[in-house]
Amino acid sequence: MNLAIEAPGVVLAAGHVAASAQVVRNTLIEVQGVVKIYSTVAGESVLALDHVDLNIREREFVCLVGPSGCGKTTLLRLLAGLDHADAGTSSLDGKALNGPSPEVGVVFQQSNLLPWFTVRQNVMLPLRVGGGRRTAEREAAIQQLLEVAGLKGFENKYPYELSGGMQQRAAIVRALARDPKLLLMDEPFGALDALTRERMNAELQRIWMASGKTVVLITHSIDEAIFLGDRVVVMSPRPGRIVRDLQVDLPRPRIATETFGSPTHVRLSREVRALLDG
Amino acid sequence: MSSLRSEGVAFDLIATSAAAAQIRRRRSRLRNIVFGVIGFLALLLLWKLGVTYLKVPPYIMPAPERVFTALWSGIAVAPSSPLGFYVPLWNTISNALLGFLIGASLGLALGSLMAEFRSVESTLMPYAFALQSLPKIAIAPLIVIWCGFGDGSKVAMAALLAFFPILVNSFAGMRAAEIERIELMQALSATRLQTYYLVKLPSAAPYIFAGLDMGIVYALLGTIVAEFLGAQEGMGVAITKAQAVTDVAGVFAALIVLGVMGIILHLIVRWSERSIIHWADRGKH
Repeated sequence: MNLAIEAPGVVLAAGHVAASAQVVRNTLIEVQGVVKIYSTVAGESVLALDHVDLNIREREFVCLVGPSGCGKTTLLRLLAGLDHADAGTSSLDGKALNGPSPEVGVVFQQSNLLPWFTVRQNVMLPLRVGGGRRTAEREAAIQQLLEVAGLKGFENKYPYELSGGMQQRAAIVRALARDPKLLLMDEPFGALDALTRERMNAELQRIWMASGKTVVLITHSIDEAIFLGDRVVVMSPRPGRIVRDLQVDLPRPRIATETFGSPTHVRLSREVRALLDG
Repeated sequence: MSSLRSEGVAFDLIATSAAAAQIRRRRSRLRNIVFGVIGFLALLLLWKLGVTYLKVPPYIMPAPERVFTALWSGIAVAPSSPLGFYVPLWNTISNALLGFLIGASLGLALGSLMAEFRSVESTLMPYAFALQSLPKIAIAPLIVIWCGFGDGSKVAMAALLAFFPILVNSFAGMRAAEIERIELMQALSATRLQTYYLVKLPSAAPYIFAGLDMGIVYALLGTIVAEFLGAQEGMGVAITKAQAVTDVAGVFAALIVLGVMGIILHLIVRWSERSIIHWADRGKH
């Protein structure tokens, strides 16, 4: 009930978003009219994405939220080049996205580290395969990233010797190994406990602020989306559409104790929750 | 100060409980060994009593000490002596291992190709199934015709029998590679070959080792069968020779030697599995 009363304020907030969006940064990703249809095993066609438009500027942190099965992951897979759209176009830095690109790093739901490799071998993997080049410069940069991610001293450990949070941090370092422009993350912390997750959010913010990457992150957690995102993009249940694109005007670096419970946080989380419930 | 002291106590407790756990482990291991030895002695006793009181003639079932004598007479000789087990055993083992290597390599290569290329799979699968359903030992007479009464037949039989479990397991293991890991390689624009040896092959490793474990025992089996069908040397020949003079104790002794050899080969495979794929079963969280 309370949420319905808040609704008029929400519209105002959205207008405010449009005004503050005029930042002088180039558009990195342009998704226009993207449609994706899946055929199920039973032979039915399922409309997963229905004319999705999304523009993301350089160095922006965008969080995608939406109910399960709304096509968030589908959208991310299209950006990662792991799937092809049935209609519409998407481009990265002005170039059409038709397949995997070295300018895109992906972090999966599970850390997806290869258990037969050490942490170092795992994070160096992108330099070993698919035209990745193993330069001393990149190796030094990756070593630096390992230190930022708190993995110094664990380089020669195997993934099973690491905690879940450390595994996911190693996965983030691996995704950054080729110095991509875009980092895609599909519920990277979903498998972690709440406390670890909050710490990982702070660390991700730090890594992101230090590296200057553009990030698209899928999450089920509204708090996580507001804590991390410059924008929170809300998607509708299937067929997936973008129903709202909210700007998060909170200063950086954000600190959990200050962000959570702040008026902006409360307002945004109510709005997102209302959209997801509706 | 008091907190420091209590910390010290806590560390002591940890050390004590770890030591206690180690002692418990050692004790239980010792207990297992003791029970094993007791069980074995009881079996020997039962055997001896049975043979003595039921008056079983030695050409049907020799008493344990006769088997032991036969075993000892085969072991306590110069390694090059034609009367000992060493010469025929080496002959059998070397042929079995050579056959195993050939069969395992072919099985792994073909299994990989079938897992990687649908066309290879659909072409070869019917034959693989047909041959797999066939009792392969029945092919042995044919193999002897083709490869003669020498080492060739032994190696061929060992290779044939070792081939299938490794083919089937490497195929199944590669198909079972996790899709997320393959997609990771796709997202990195890895080549097919890179995906094969960096992801699919290690993914299949636990399956392949299970196949190798079976394959090594089958290879030994294949070699013995080939030796039964007519060879000049080997443990199979030693068994048929002993059988010809109803030296049942000699047959038993040869069987014991083969059994021990089989266990050793199996343990070698298990040991290399544990050291090579130490990450298996612990890779997932």
